[in-house]
Amino acid sequence: MNEQTNQIRTSTLFRRLFKTSSIKEYMEKNADEMRLQSFSEYITGLCKKKGEVPERIIRRANIERSFGHQLFKGTKKPSRDTVLQLAFGFEADVDTAQKLLKHAGMSALYPRVKRDTAILYCLHNHFTIVETQNVLHEMELPLIGGGKSK
Amino acid sequence: MSDVKTAVNEIENAFDASRYPAGFPEKYDQLECLADSHGTETFLVKQKGSEHLFVAKCYDKNLYSFVHESNILKSLHHGGLPAFADEFQSDSTVCIVREYIEGKPINQYITENNPTNQDIIGIGIQLCNILIHLHGQEKPVIHRDIKPQNVIVKDDGQIVLIDFDISRVYHSEAEADTQFFGTREYAPPEQYGFSQTDSRTDIYSFGVLLRYMLTGSEKENPNVHVYKPLERIIRKCTAFAPKGRFNNAAAVKKALLAANPKSQRIRKALIALCSVAVITLCVFGGIKWYQYATFDPFAEETIPAVLTDAERVTDSVSYMKNKYGTDLFDDTESYSDIGFVKMILTDVYGYNSDYVHALPEEEGPPHESEKNFLPWGMGDEQYVARDVMVYVAVKIYWVDKVSDYSSLKDDNGYYPGVRVAVAFAEETGILTGVGRPEDITKGEAAILLANADRVFEATKE
Repeated sequence: MNEQTNQIRTSTLFRRLFKTSSIKEYMEKNADEMRLQSFSEYITGLCKKKGEVPERIIRRANIERSFGHQLFKGTKKPSRDTVLQLAFGFEADVDTAQKLLKHAGMSALYPRVKRDTAILYCLHNHFTIVETQNVLHEMELPLIGGGKSK
Repeated sequence: MSDVKTAVNEIENAFDASRYPAGFPEKYDQLECLADSHGTETFLVKQKGSEHLFVAKCYDKNLYSFVHESNILKSLHHGGLPAFADEFQSDSTVCIVREYIEGKPINQYITENNPTNQDIIGIGIQLCNILIHLHGQEKPVIHRDIKPQNVIVKDDGQIVLIDFDISRVYHSEAEADTQFFGTREYAPPEQYGFSQTDSRTDIYSFGVLLRYMLTGSEKENPNVHVYKPLERIIRKCTAFAPKGRFNNAAAVKKALLAANPKSQRIRKALIALCSVAVITLCVFGGIKWYQYATFDPFAEETIPAVLTDAERVTDSVSYMKNKYGTDLFDDTESYSDIGFVKMILTDVYGYNSDYVHALPEEEGPPHESEKNFLPWGMGDEQYVARDVMVYVAVKIYWVDKVSDYSSLKDDNGYYPGVRVAVAFAEETGILTGVGRPEDITKGEAAILLANADRVFEATKE
């Protein structure tokens, strides 16, 4: 996974740091690189990288359309289940799904949680969101976005 | 469409269901793992067949010979503590289920809400109330891990203290703790094994937390100014030796209330207002509402209205003496000066002298600020005008009336608080008995303060 190819490499940043005389000067010059990427920036970037438009991701994620666009704009914050829905919208692999959760400040998929194990399996095997919900339903586990969630 | 049955079989085979105690997975669905460290896993769980969320903490029995959290939580019942729900045991694991507290941990709350000193004092006082409850148990409970992540601010502003897994019940006969638990920046020296941890351990961590809330950092930063009275509280809480700290959470709470009287007064005023509303609507109905609506501060029971000026002075001086035990107003004929006013604030009302004696730091026209009680740089010997004394009296009792100094400036930018205070005093009758505008006497100062006190007491009822 390397979705940051258009960004400056960490080693280059380090070299610049050691060359700069003051930390203040360094921070000013490299402010853009050091800023933490917000969730909306991250998913927008991921969308571009995949050559997709948000509309399609949102549709595949089974997320209500206007809410989905608000997530991309950053005017709404997603719950953990919404991030998981987006992961299916992106047709993400396990690694990308975990990165999505991390950028949203949510806890990672954890293989000792049965529901997370099922979701990991479905992501790994490129199931759609509907197929995944069928698996969860069959296993009598809470559906994604099915109820009150953190 | 992939084969759902095959998927389910493969997932069931890959998942180790025997890891958690019998009964736990049958009753609760694990939704996510909130934390995983030191042989403990914390899960957000949902009770099957309901929408109720809980937090389950599962301990590896090989690492934790004795699990504290359930025993401690079971015995505690307080709005600021999560309620115990369930406990499950197997040979290898213990899972303790407690109420899930919906809200934000303090670190997130601070970043997103940018709270004022006043808000932080409010949070501190709530936390003190929880500590008073914990430490006040027959066998005092020491939390030992007070840190931002363990203090949750609920949507309604209520504070809840979570995570009791390293708490201990204090045994007066034990000498030193043998193991280090806790979070480094928040742990006092004795938690590293110097002596046994007692309630002053929590007071140390509370002090560090207070600094964190005010500055965003656990460590002292000379470049960040902390409101002085709060800085003193932090220092006392975090003294190296436990005996140098506040003795108990009640003392910390008292210091917080004294550090800035605003919160106490606003709270009292709110409670008073709420009480009035509740009583009005529920108990006495229309009659009480009528009385409230027609409240007359000139009424005899509020400010005695039939006395001569000389009698009014005598009455007010003795009122202040009886209520506050002060002889400051005895010399009724001499003039009030600024030094005298400052003495009243510190000696009678218990204000911090730094707050009362501070001068504005910035140049330019006089102004009010959170750092100075008196908004302008008058000399101590300068005589006090009636309106200045009115300002003082109103600010003592209704600080919120004069505190909005940024948006109340008049055309010239001068003394906005005084104008607001005088208008308020005229409306409520606090000015009764002091007609002369300049150079008022100590007796007249007593009248204004006694009037303000009476009106304040009357609005509380």
